Amino acid sequence: MARSVWKGPFVDGYLLKKAEKSRGSGRNEIIKIWSRRSTILPQFVGLTFGVYNGQKFIPVLVTENMIGHKFGEFSPTRTFYGHASDKKAKRA
Amino acid sequence: MRFCVGAFAGAHGVRGLVKLKSFTGEPDAILRYRPLTDEVGGREFQVTLVSTAKDCFVVKVDGVTTREGAEALASVRVYAPRAALPATEEDEFYHADLIGLAAETTDGAPLGQVAGLYDFGAGDVLEIAVPGGKPLLVPFTRAAVPQVDMAGKRVVIDLPVEA
Repeated sequence: MARSVWKGPFVDGYLLKKAEKSRGSGRNEIIKIWSRRSTILPQFVGLTFGVYNGQKFIPVLVTENMIGHKFGEFSPTRTFYGHASDKKAKRA
Repeated sequence: MRFCVGAFAGAHGVRGLVKLKSFTGEPDAILRYRPLTDEVGGREFQVTLVSTAKDCFVVKVDGVTTREGAEALASVRVYAPRAALPATEEDEFYHADLIGLAAETTDGAPLGQVAGLYDFGAGDVLEIAVPGGKPLLVPFTRAAVPQVDMAGKRVVIDLPVEA
């Protein structure tokens, strides 16, 4: 069952404070967070979070199309890395 | 330089057909790369697609006509030459090219070696193996990786500050 709209998106309070502080600093920062359950809000776009997966902090660069998803979706806890083969990476 | 594009997964039937598992971005790209060889390049495989099976292709390999011959190929990795890959766009790099490059800080201090590249849905992430330390994960962005010097075989990392 979907979350009631009147409640608004869930986000841990401390994330908003950290995001605001990081945006103000203007440095190349990774915001370490443990809150995988928090929803990605529009004010997080452009920031890089280090989302804990139980072992390490996976860098998550927030883009517009990630709004509404949870942070945990981008930091897998069990990973099959696959093969490099002919895969390409584009520098954002 | 060669890169791994797949592996033989075992025999199919009794007439020497072999199952071929593809590791390429588009699975059928493996059938376009030529020549396919083993790891050292000592043996060349001429493959012809016969049919597709679950998660793999069924191919005929020239010179293999019996089930025993096909079974002997099981788990042999298949490699293609780096030159067979098409050119990339600006700021686009093949994982196979980046893995193994030396990583340096902006001051020129050695940091380690690129051990892997991952994409978990939020942009590419560079894994740097640090000798005697924990591996570093760095977002593959212009801010964090300002320079990729393919000729010099190094990447420059501007380590992000942790907040």
